[in-house]
Amino acid sequence: MQPILRLEGICKQFGGVTAAKDITFSMTPGQVHGLIGPNGAGKSTLMNIISGIYEPDWGSIYLNEQEITKIPAYTRARMGIGRTFQTPRFLQRSNIRDNLLIGTDLADQTGFLKGFFGKKGRPFDDELAELMEVAKFTFDWNDNVNSLPFGKRKLLEIVRSMLGHPKVMLVDEPAAGLNNKEIEHAMDLLNLAAQKRGIGVLLIEHSMDMIMDICSDIVVINFGQVIGMGGPKEISQNKAVIDAYLGGDDLA
Amino acid sequence: MKFKNLIGAGLICAIILIVPQFLHGYPMTVVNVALLFAITSYGISVMLGMGGQLSFAAVTFMGLGAYFVANTTTGRLGITIPTMLALVLTPIVFAGVAFLVGLVLLKLKGTYFTFATIALVQVAFTFFNNYSPLFGGPDGISGIPTLTFFDHSFRSSGSSNEWFYFISISVVLVAIVVERIRRSQLGRALASIRDNETAALTFGINTYLTKVIAFSIAGAFASFSGALWVMHGRFVGADMFNFLNAAQFIIMAMLGGVNSTVGIVIGALLVTGLPELFRAFQGYMQLFWGVAIIALMVFMPTGLAGIKDMIVEKIRKYKVCASRREGDADATDS
Amino acid sequence: MSFTLFGTLFINGLSMGVIYAMMAMGLILLIRAVGILNFAQGELFMFGAYISAALVLDFHLPLPIMIPAAMVCFAVVGLVFMFTIYWPLRKASYAATTIIATMGAAIVLRELAVLIWGPLPRSMPPLVVDEGRPAILHLGDVPLQWQNVLIIVIGVLLMYLIYLLFEKLYVGKMMQAACQNSYAANLLGVPTILTIAATYVIVSILVSVGGYLVAPIFMVRNTLGVLQLRAFAGVVIGGFGNIKGAIIGSLIVGLIEVFSTLHFSAYRDVTVFLTLILFLLLRPQGLFGEKIKDKA
Repeated sequence: MQPILRLEGICKQFGGVTAAKDITFSMTPGQVHGLIGPNGAGKSTLMNIISGIYEPDWGSIYLNEQEITKIPAYTRARMGIGRTFQTPRFLQRSNIRDNLLIGTDLADQTGFLKGFFGKKGRPFDDELAELMEVAKFTFDWNDNVNSLPFGKRKLLEIVRSMLGHPKVMLVDEPAAGLNNKEIEHAMDLLNLAAQKRGIGVLLIEHSMDMIMDICSDIVVINFGQVIGMGGPKEISQNKAVIDAYLGGDDLA
Repeated sequence: MKFKNLIGAGLICAIILIVPQFLHGYPMTVVNVALLFAITSYGISVMLGMGGQLSFAAVTFMGLGAYFVANTTTGRLGITIPTMLALVLTPIVFAGVAFLVGLVLLKLKGTYFTFATIALVQVAFTFFNNYSPLFGGPDGISGIPTLTFFDHSFRSSGSSNEWFYFISISVVLVAIVVERIRRSQLGRALASIRDNETAALTFGINTYLTKVIAFSIAGAFASFSGALWVMHGRFVGADMFNFLNAAQFIIMAMLGGVNSTVGIVIGALLVTGLPELFRAFQGYMQLFWGVAIIALMVFMPTGLAGIKDMIVEKIRKYKVCASRREGDADATDS
Repeated sequence: MSFTLFGTLFINGLSMGVIYAMMAMGLILLIRAVGILNFAQGELFMFGAYISAALVLDFHLPLPIMIPAAMVCFAVVGLVFMFTIYWPLRKASYAATTIIATMGAAIVLRELAVLIWGPLPRSMPPLVVDEGRPAILHLGDVPLQWQNVLIIVIGVLLMYLIYLLFEKLYVGKMMQAACQNSYAANLLGVPTILTIAATYVIVSILVSVGGYLVAPIFMVRNTLGVLQLRAFAGVVIGGFGNIKGAIIGSLIVGLIEVFSTLHFSAYRDVTVFLTLILFLLLRPQGLFGEKIKDKA
């Protein structure tokens, strides 16, 4: 199958520190890909490079085999690269409705005047209902987004990202700070994204249980380099990977 | 929701109809000026309140609008156009000018952008104050015709009721536009820029263009307000458009609540009205004023509108607690 | 342009530049310490001029007593400023609130000056007087005002001392560290409030001395604060956040201003601020700043 996202020889240095060195891998639509590695291995940097916040020093990025390396971050988002953050990023002073509309604005680029005329609609009711069914919680539209507990906010961020109808979703540590129930719901959401919507999901996560459970493909990086790639089974037996984790001070 | 809107509309109509029954002469002039300042303030609300961009340029665009009207309606440059046409043209022309200026200045971010707007204010003020052919120099330009609305010429005294009706309707229209922007895609884009510009990029928002558009809207509001100001006062001088007044407008917007549509009008009325009301204590008035601003920022950083939000929040929490208690009671009953 | 004229203008420009540099250095110290852009910097400067005028004209203090007395007053102003404008607002969530508060403080200081010392401008005698008139120093053919020369000497000395304190001495580095990371500082046992208060006192003294020095050249009036805009220009031209850059940028602003009066005196603000806008657009990192990087 044609890869939905392909990285080729991505390099990035900050000062003297190498954050990414010759990273090459590709993602298939409809699958969850794990991106793991010890703390400081360069996982989040790689996400920032894919979403266009950092420009790579070298290498190319292809979305649907179209090169997007030079394309600005906001255009990439409109082309279908959605993402979430380690600490969820919301409009702090806005209610939940506006925060979710940020997601639908992305799917429906009618222009700045969208919503200027007419009623305060909720055109995405059905889709949202379907997603909240999986996320398993309810909220009041008009509440400030910060009235939700942290775990719910992280789930809501995944929902918002999905409302933007991305082709690729970059999900940064969705399980951190969630209780077991919420982790399950997060996994359900990601599975829904991949299996029903055919989104290629790139998942950074420290919880090995989650990675092994839902990823069909895993990329392991350390010191900005790919040190292992393959299915869950292969990875758990890969010597370089085990060394990196056991040798490092951080056992994820 | 519909009902609430109706009540609001009725209330505004009532206020507009009632105020002229009680206010005459100089106080009326002050209210008129305060209301047309509110239009400039709405521009600051769009830039600072929605987009988090601190710009001092509002007075400069006010000045440009004012001098544009002063030049085109008095025939100083050889052509004379009707006042009504000048008033309509001003926001269109200066939305364009502000868009171009914004394209340049908004290459800069955060504090750098703020500094650039300060520089713009200083440069423009120097020209307003010295370049006589266009701006009349230190003497300003006087003898500007009053507004002629279709066939009806407004009475030239700034305290007349027709001025009040015209200006307050303009304020309401601008307020509706602002309120609509807040809930449109543009409003959300600005809010996400205010909260985290980098994250906004990943939401697919062209942050640069969004800010330029907001700057252009603010420029249109400010120039429109300047045009009204000059027709209402029939004189324009450079002093109005210096840095101190630029700061005064920021304060005006922050005082009522930079994100509150009603608060903006209240802020404008207070900043313009209070010093007039307490003329007897003029020496102390400004001092009190400065102290009040500091106190407000310390205790109520979201402006006077914050008080309302606080009360609403308190009530909501109280209701939630009450319903929980009821819920508990139910649970124990069963 | 004759050499004498050039020399005079150069020294005038440099002395104005030093005045702006003192304000600019104070701005940077505050930004580094508490991250606040102080829009009342010019008013602190103006207040310094008024306080020194009061000590000289009303209390007739001789210089050796006047100087320490002025320092104490300046320090007190700095402390009061900190505890009213900064301390209660240190946890404000809106960046604009603290800036607006400093604007409020600017109004308060302007009005206090009028309430205390009256609306009429006061004239200060220069430090060196020759038969009742400002003394002139002849350097070769070039006539220079003593006051301008003194501004440069005293201003540069004061700024150098503060620069040493903050950049070279252990105490100063400690203070900066404490301001930037109060958590770590508390672990080290450095009370943040003390270091921040010390910064405010130093900034207040630096800026007020500038006011004192400039008072004989301009009249002492409550609109002196407008000069802070030139200091802002200097800060940006030099590279935001960089003390050396802010000083050199301010000197450039002073020189541009004075030399442009030669040809178009009414438009000198235009030359200064157009230079600023050009700098912002062509070299936003300023002369000495590093390129700004976005953070995710």
